[in-house]
Amino acid sequence: MHSANMLLRKTVSSVLPFAAQHGMKKDLFPLSRTLSLSHCLKQDKSCEPSEKLDLDEWKKVMRSGLQEEVGETVSEPKELSSLAAARETLEMWRLAGRAVPENISEEQLKTFMECPSKSAKKKYLKYLHVKELYKKSDKRKMDEKRERRLEAQDQASETDETKKSSFLCMWSSTMDKAYNWRAAQSMIFGQPLVFDMSYEKEMSMREVTNTVRQIVMSESCNRRSVDPFHIHFCNFKDDSLYHREFVKHYREAWSKLLITVTDQCYTEIFPKDKLIYLTADSPKVMKTFDHDKIYIVGSMVDKSIKTGVSLARAKRLGLETAALPLEKYLLWSTGAKNLTLDQMMHILLTLKDTADWKKALEFVPKRKYCGFVDKPVKELKKTLELINTLKRGKRQEVEKQFARNYPKK
Amino acid sequence: VQPPEKPLQAEEWNKLREDFQLPEVFEEVMLNSMIRCNSPIDVAKSLLTHLAKHNGDIAYKVLVKYLTLCVQQGQVSEILDVYDIMKARFKILESGAYNLLIKGLSNSDQWRMALTLLEEVKTSMIPSRTCYESCIKAASRHQEMKLAFELYNEMLAKDVVPTLDVLQSFFDFSRGMKGAELQKELFGILLYLRENQLYPHKTFMRSIKLWFESIPGGNWRGHLTNIKDSGQCPVCNHQLEDSNLTDEEYRNLSERIIKDVIHGTDTFRKTSPKEFEAFQTFVEDRLPFDIVIDGLNVSHIKSRKMQCENLFDAVNCLAKENARLLVLGRKHMLMNSSNWKREIMKEMQNKADFFFAENISEDDAFLLYATLRSGKHCRFVTRDFLRDHKACLSDTLTRHLFRKWQRGHQIVKSKKLCFSSVFSQQPAFRYDCVVQTTGDTWHIPYKNVFEEKYSYQVPRKWLCIQQK
Repeated sequence: MHSANMLLRKTVSSVLPFAAQHGMKKDLFPLSRTLSLSHCLKQDKSCEPSEKLDLDEWKKVMRSGLQEEVGETVSEPKELSSLAAARETLEMWRLAGRAVPENISEEQLKTFMECPSKSAKKKYLKYLHVKELYKKSDKRKMDEKRERRLEAQDQASETDETKKSSFLCMWSSTMDKAYNWRAAQSMIFGQPLVFDMSYEKEMSMREVTNTVRQIVMSESCNRRSVDPFHIHFCNFKDDSLYHREFVKHYREAWSKLLITVTDQCYTEIFPKDKLIYLTADSPKVMKTFDHDKIYIVGSMVDKSIKTGVSLARAKRLGLETAALPLEKYLLWSTGAKNLTLDQMMHILLTLKDTADWKKALEFVPKRKYCGFVDKPVKELKKTLELINTLKRGKRQEVEKQFARNYPKK
Repeated sequence: VQPPEKPLQAEEWNKLREDFQLPEVFEEVMLNSMIRCNSPIDVAKSLLTHLAKHNGDIAYKVLVKYLTLCVQQGQVSEILDVYDIMKARFKILESGAYNLLIKGLSNSDQWRMALTLLEEVKTSMIPSRTCYESCIKAASRHQEMKLAFELYNEMLAKDVVPTLDVLQSFFDFSRGMKGAELQKELFGILLYLRENQLYPHKTFMRSIKLWFESIPGGNWRGHLTNIKDSGQCPVCNHQLEDSNLTDEEYRNLSERIIKDVIHGTDTFRKTSPKEFEAFQTFVEDRLPFDIVIDGLNVSHIKSRKMQCENLFDAVNCLAKENARLLVLGRKHMLMNSSNWKREIMKEMQNKADFFFAENISEDDAFLLYATLRSGKHCRFVTRDFLRDHKACLSDTLTRHLFRKWQRGHQIVKSKKLCFSSVFSQQPAFRYDCVVQTTGDTWHIPYKNVFEEKYSYQVPRKWLCIQQK
């Protein structure tokens, strides 16, 4: 390293006068800047012999830097454990510029090594990489925010005016108390809503994690609503993946949640004729929200769309099924009809409160539909097709079609 | 960016770098464009020298890019130098660098060095298929066929799939060589094509033909031909293999279909145990059928006609030959509606057996079961390619069997011929479209290089090779 730096310093100092001369030349002919730079340089070259350039000098530098390091590495044991080898490989991939996280934990490294194929490994690493990027940017934003807040505080202390307000300051703990009161009431009087937790076998680890995150979101929005459901987790096994993930999310609050968790099946708790299994595959379409029925939502995220899994479950138990009337109210454009669990919760809560389908289906992601059905479906389909062809950039065809549909009078 | 044409001095590089909008990635972008323009290697060297002096080190990424340029231009001594530097600088290398090194060295007279590198790769990972391919090609180019085949077998043992290109190189480089062992190995490649239902393209086919004809004392002659619908080769009058499965294959396929397609992970997903049992007894009572029809699929053939009329036409057309028909449908077809007239349905039920599944059950699974259960002569009518059912089968071998069986047994109504194979405007294939041999003849189907062929289609052109 030292020798390299010395070399560097020497060359820089020897080259400087040349650079000054070169720069002056440039200023004399400002026009040449707009011309190709390489061309200009080429001309310079022709009068300046290139003997000064030792093209293989980089090799010397690389090798000279080595000799010191070699001394260090020799003492290291040659055989690497498989974990260390994997870490080493990852480091090389990172150096090669692939999407690889900078830091990786022992556990993640083990998961990485257990991936069955090269592409699975690549995908997992990319996932970790993106996660790391998000974490970093979040941290950066937090820091910025803190700085701004401190600045604001400084300014506030300068002005130093105590404001008087006739309202009490509502702390979040007070709010929590109010919410919990409502949730407790729903435990006694509320309409039950069942999450069927029997899909663990159909899902991968990532899918279970996503499922639990969605349920946590659903639970929180239920708690905050005016008239919450009484949530039941049925077929819930202790020490299952679900359980472990829930504890990760809720920590000690898990045992204090105002919901019913049971390993029993919903058919054992409720009368069968009151149960309705909500599934996108159902041939029956839900018309109205029934306040006397008990709706069941399957706690499953299926990234590789597995059709008919929850329908099969309902069929086996002989339960009534229903699907949301998405087709009837929305002009569907892309995406699967299965919604996330928190979206389902929002929709069901809104239906329960207002019985207004339009309001409820606002929670369907906007990218999945083009608009609400307020005209005859045929006409809407025509416009949808128009939009789609426009998206594909077939303008001429669209114009023709337009001319056909709306002839000039 | 346009790479310079001649090596630059350090300060000139500095200048270029400053002018570039993203100085952090300047070297990478510059090297990339050098690779694209195939710039002289000295230019890249001058950039590296500048970097080395400036930072005292060169990033691995940049070295790999430089290596790419060297490989592209076949600069063997540079490749070796870069390897030395990398080897000393980093404990291990990643697969990208190894691929490049092996590729670069295998094309030179240093190709044995590529083999040692391959050994090095094996210690830490499974070598990629490009690694193997480079080494195999290098070995066969230097007439070391034994070594090449060793590598090839090793590759197969590790589940690395060779390209047709490599297989072709075996035939190209063994031309005119003698040796029973070699001949056996090359026949092995042809059998590999057979087992995996691969079809060589035209140039590959030509290599095969030339190799056969060049075997000293072999007296092989090759001809290009089209096989008749009967399955007879017009050149040698040899009858091609039957498309029917062997008894064992047939039994195997039936079992897999029941297990994987109908039951799958949960019988309730496609039907229900009760319904399936009812269907089984229904079929057993009336066996065997000659033709099984997917009623709903057939009823949509002509959109202008009423759905039951379409079905009626199909049933009439097929019933003429005194065949025993089974029509599969769903219960909603029995409800008198604008598309399904009760009288027509009644009339049809006199000509064929009908089974109506629940409206939410999948009738395709029943179709497959009834056809397979009726025996090898039974065919089925649907336009559906049944891809989703094929996908349910768990292993490739059974999927191949399924396709083969489907090619021979699935028919569909078309305009000209009354009923034909769904895959092409031809009657269902009576011969098997796969590389085949009798010892003194070989028949090899091949595809035109630029011909677009769907995966479900089979080539129509054949190479016939016979020993005089």
